[in-house]
Parts: sequence; structure tokens; C-alpha cells
Amino acid sequence: MSRSLKSFHGGLLGTPLKWIIVNVIAWIIGVLWITPFIGIFMTSIRPFSEVVNGWWNLSPFTPTLKNYIDALFNPMFSLLRGFLNSFIIVIPSTLIPVMLAALAAYAFARFSFPIKNYLFITILFLMAVPQQMTIIPIFFMLNNMHLLNTYQGLILIHSSWGIPWIIFFLRNFFSMLPVELEEAARVDGATNRQIFFKIVLPISLPGIISAAVLQFAWVWNDFFFALMLIFDPDKMVITQMLPRLKGQYQVDWGLLSAGSVLAMIVPLLVYATFNKYYMGGFRGWAMKK
Amino acid sequence: MAVGVKIENVTKVFPPKVVALKNINIEIKPSEFFVILGPSGSGKTTLLRIIAGLDVPTKGRVVIGDRVVVDADKGVFVEPRDRNIGMVFQNWALYPHMTAYDNIAFPLKIKKLPKEEIDRRVKEVAEALGISDLLDRKPAHMSGGQQQRVAVARALVKQPDILLLDEPFSNLDARIRVTAREFVREIQKKLGITTILVTHDQADAFAVGDRVMVLRNGVMQQLGTPDELYGAPVNVFVANFIGDPPMNIFQLKTIHPIIDSLKIKEYIPPNNEFVYIGIRPDEAIAIKDLENAHLKGKVVILKYLGSRKYAKVKVTDDISIRVLVEDEDIKEDSEVGIYIRKLHLFGSDGKRIDTIRF
Repeated sequence: MSRSLKSFHGGLLGTPLKWIIVNVIAWIIGVLWITPFIGIFMTSIRPFSEVVNGWWNLSPFTPTLKNYIDALFNPMFSLLRGFLNSFIIVIPSTLIPVMLAALAAYAFARFSFPIKNYLFITILFLMAVPQQMTIIPIFFMLNNMHLLNTYQGLILIHSSWGIPWIIFFLRNFFSMLPVELEEAARVDGATNRQIFFKIVLPISLPGIISAAVLQFAWVWNDFFFALMLIFDPDKMVITQMLPRLKGQYQVDWGLLSAGSVLAMIVPLLVYATFNKYYMGGFRGWAMKK
Repeated sequence: MAVGVKIENVTKVFPPKVVALKNINIEIKPSEFFVILGPSGSGKTTLLRIIAGLDVPTKGRVVIGDRVVVDADKGVFVEPRDRNIGMVFQNWALYPHMTAYDNIAFPLKIKKLPKEEIDRRVKEVAEALGISDLLDRKPAHMSGGQQQRVAVARALVKQPDILLLDEPFSNLDARIRVTAREFVREIQKKLGITTILVTHDQADAFAVGDRVMVLRNGVMQQLGTPDELYGAPVNVFVANFIGDPPMNIFQLKTIHPIIDSLKIKEYIPPNNEFVYIGIRPDEAIAIKDLENAHLKGKVVILKYLGSRKYAKVKVTDDISIRVLVEDEDIKEDSEVGIYIRKLHLFGSDGKRIDTIRF
């Protein structure tokens, strides 16, 4: 209550009328956003018979974890296995491109070298290429490298796919840092490598984490590359496992909902954990020099 | 041992054709406190950055001690980290993710000195600068004055040959500025370290400098002690730029009646159609005695500037002079005389002809 009163007088939102309008809009968007999630969640924790007429009918209401247990330990298509595979893919596919792109982005932001601008424009163009256009060459390339249907192959593709946009994202972030800090470090005796690792990287943590969180969520949620490049059921990632929960002849909504909640909980937790840095990264990004 | 700095024929052109510095030649003596003074855009920071090695001159060379650190013609360039300089930036550029201790220790950690020695030297310099109790704070939790001290400590801790200060006082409140200047001056005297300071504020320059160089549009105007700059400015620009409150400067035709009433016609070389007359407010005084006055006029405004009282006296329709007031009977609208103690005379090209004492 005291908080809402405070913002009532706040200069940012201005008059009370404006405050009310902004709040109403925010609430509408918020409710629209969260309703499907509540639906899935309610469906997942109740027996199927209770939700056939809509999850919003609350009587009877018997919460149960049966759907989750069934989804995780299904002998035919174990979601647990998918979980594990997703982690095996997503962790290196986040760390590798963020590390490589951070180095490249710093070079683009601070150093001058021949064809720098052409190279950067090329990277911008690469970001615009649709996945579907590249998948056939990628398929053949991985086949030739004997990396088809392997974790390494998918990690390689996700990492390469992430590098251009992370370079773009971090270059802009690095360009906004006050250059005096780096000059001070140069005068203090630091080499370029020391400047990057001891000064630039620590103060860019919000930007680095923002990029990592986005890349993590993107790789976790990817279906297309996994579908095309992994076909061994034992190696399938969680997004590939999910549709298999649907069942052959009738849709088991409870099982499917539980699977969906399990799949989405990971990126949500990652967002929540790094929320502070993530928001900071974008605030910094939105600010002009 | 303190070292000197030689700047020889240094020219800096920013492509396509902005000339930031034109053929600068100066020799800074060991242990000297040297000030580069100029308005914004005069090239003063560029010159400092060239000495630091953060910029490269288009022509010319810089010698620190007996080592050539940059020579544009021979392609010599010594990296900033190998020049053994300490630098304090305008916004202090403290590393925001490190405590004051780690900020000060940074140059030593880079050199990979033993931990005990780093600790001893950081504490020593912190003690000397009176910031021992700030060492575990981060820059965001320090006042401007404290941040400045940490920045100076970081610059001094590696015992550099030269200390470079880029507008170190401009982000400080007027009140702290005075103590900050004294503090920097005292440290410099105590250590005897050759120091180069860049500023746009003549009060800063005069408060700390042994010698001051005035720069305008990349061209050196004058180089001298504060007394020389104040007492004998070489041209109208320097005269105008130095002194607070600023000098009264008028352009007068050689045949103007004021020239006659001041009896200075004999000083003016024959080929000058007009001259500039400069009178410092502190070198002229408003008096009630109209007989012995050089000029007469009416007081328009009377007010305090700093600790002294000045009157703006209207002498003719288009000439008003700001002068010192000591007589308490002088009020606004009084008819007063102006007694001039010293007058600076500049030719029509703006260059100094003479300084006349009365």
C-alpha cells in the first residue's frame, strides 16, 4: 500500500490518472500473459477426469503429482532422459559462443583492423539468415564430419548460430563502457588481455549474463535443429520428447501439461536467478552514452 | 630521481583536417609542476594524451628523461604501460568493481609484485594521502574528493617518473576544490615528482603551477610563471583569458579622446590605426577625487566578487570599466573618478606593446 502511494506521487508516472491507466494496462497484459500458464499448471496437477470440462472448474479439486511422475519416468519416452540431454547440449552451447563472441565483440568495439566494418556488416547479414535455409548444408556438413546424431554436432551448430547475435549484442554493450577505464588500465601497465579480463569483463557482467540467459533459453527451446540433427531416442532433447507424450490415439492432456511445465521451468528458473543482471544488462543497453 | 619532459615540434591532426596541435615545443624541467591551460577545444587534453601515449602525434617527438617515447618521423612508439607514468583522469576512472584498496593495488598487481610489498606500498600511499579508512569501500560509496584522492593514490603507488593530471578538479565543488588544489600541490612538493596538469580554469593553473602554458586552437600563446602571465600577457587572448574578474579590454582608435586623457599616445607605434587597452579590475580603483583621476564616470553596478567590492563605471556611452572600490562612501549612481595603476597596451594585431604604470 505504501509503495503504491509512493508511486502515486512519483514524477515518473506523473498524474494520478496516468498512474491508473498505466496500471490497468500492465495488469491486463500481465493477466493475459499468465493465464495460459495457470491453465497448463492446473491441468498438470489434477487427474484428467477433473479437467475435461475446463481447468477453471475447481470442484472437485484433487491435486496430484501422478502426471509428473508418469512424464518423468515413462519407460517409452523418459522425460528425465530428455532433461539430461537438454542440459548436456545447452550448457556448452551457451558457454562456448558467449566466450568466443565476447572476445570478438571487444575487438569490434575497441580495436581497428583491416576490413573490420565489412566483417561486422557480414555478421549482421548472417543474423538475418533463416534456419530453414541453412539446414540442408548443415545436415550434409555434419554427415561428412560424422557428427550427425551426436551431442557434439548439435552443440557445434547451436554455438555457431549464437555467435553472430552475441557479437552484435556485446559489441554494442562494450562500446557503451567509458573508455577512460581502459585507458587508465593501459597507463597502469595492463596489456590488452589484462584489460579485457580484469576490467572490461567484470564490469560487463550484466551484458554477458543477459547474452548467456538469452542464448540458454534459445537453445533450450530449440526444436528445429534438434529435430533435424538428432534422431536416436536416447539422445533426444526435451523439446523433442514433449510431442511424444501426446499419445498415439488420444491426447493425454495431463501428461502433456506436466511435461510442458517441466520443460519451461528451467528457462524460467534461469531468468529468475539472473533477473538482476539481466534487467541491468538491458537497462544499460537501452541507455545512450 | 625526477625526470624532465621534452616536447619537440609536436603536431596532431585528426583526419580529415582538424589540427588539434600546431608545432608545440616545450621543455618541462625535473620536479616542475607544469600546467597546460586553455579553453575547451584548445588541444590541451590531446597534448597530455600524447605524453601519456594514449594518442600518437602526427609529427614531432616526445622525450621523457633521456628516452624517446614517441617519434612520429622515425616510427618510435613506447606503449603507455612502459612509460612509467601515473595519470589521473577527469572523471577519475576508478574501477567500479574494485574497492579503493584494489584500485590502488592494481598497477602493482599487474607488475606481479610480491603480495607483502603490494600491501605495504598501498598502505603507505593511503596513509600519505589520508585515505586509510576508505580502503575497503567501492568508488560508488565515496565522495568526489575521496575518489580523487584514491585516483591520485593509484597514480602514485607505482612511483612513476611523471604524474599527469587531466582536469582533476573540474568535478569537485568549489569549496573542496580549494583544499584539493592545496593537497595536490603539497603532495607534488613532498615527492618532487614532475607533474603536468591540464585545466581550463585559470584559478587551478595559478594555484598549483610553477609554470603555465596557455594554449589556444592548438597554438601555444604564452609560457611563463603565473606572475609573468598575469603581469605581462603577450596578447589580447591571454590578457582576456587570465585574471578573475576578467580584464577590461577596449578597442580604441588611436585618435580617441581617452588615449589623450590617459597620455599614452607616445607609446603607440605609428602604424597602428587602433589599439587595445587592457585594465585589470584590481589595478584600477574608483575614487571620489575627480581631479587626480585618469577617467571619470558614473557607477552603474556595485557588487562583491569574491572578497572584494567592484564597481562597474560607465565612462562613455559604449565603454564601461569594472574597477576596485575601497571607499565605502561610493554608492550606485555616484560620480567617481578612476585611478589607473597599471595599463596593458596591445597593438591592432592584438600583440602586446607595453605595460604602463602610473
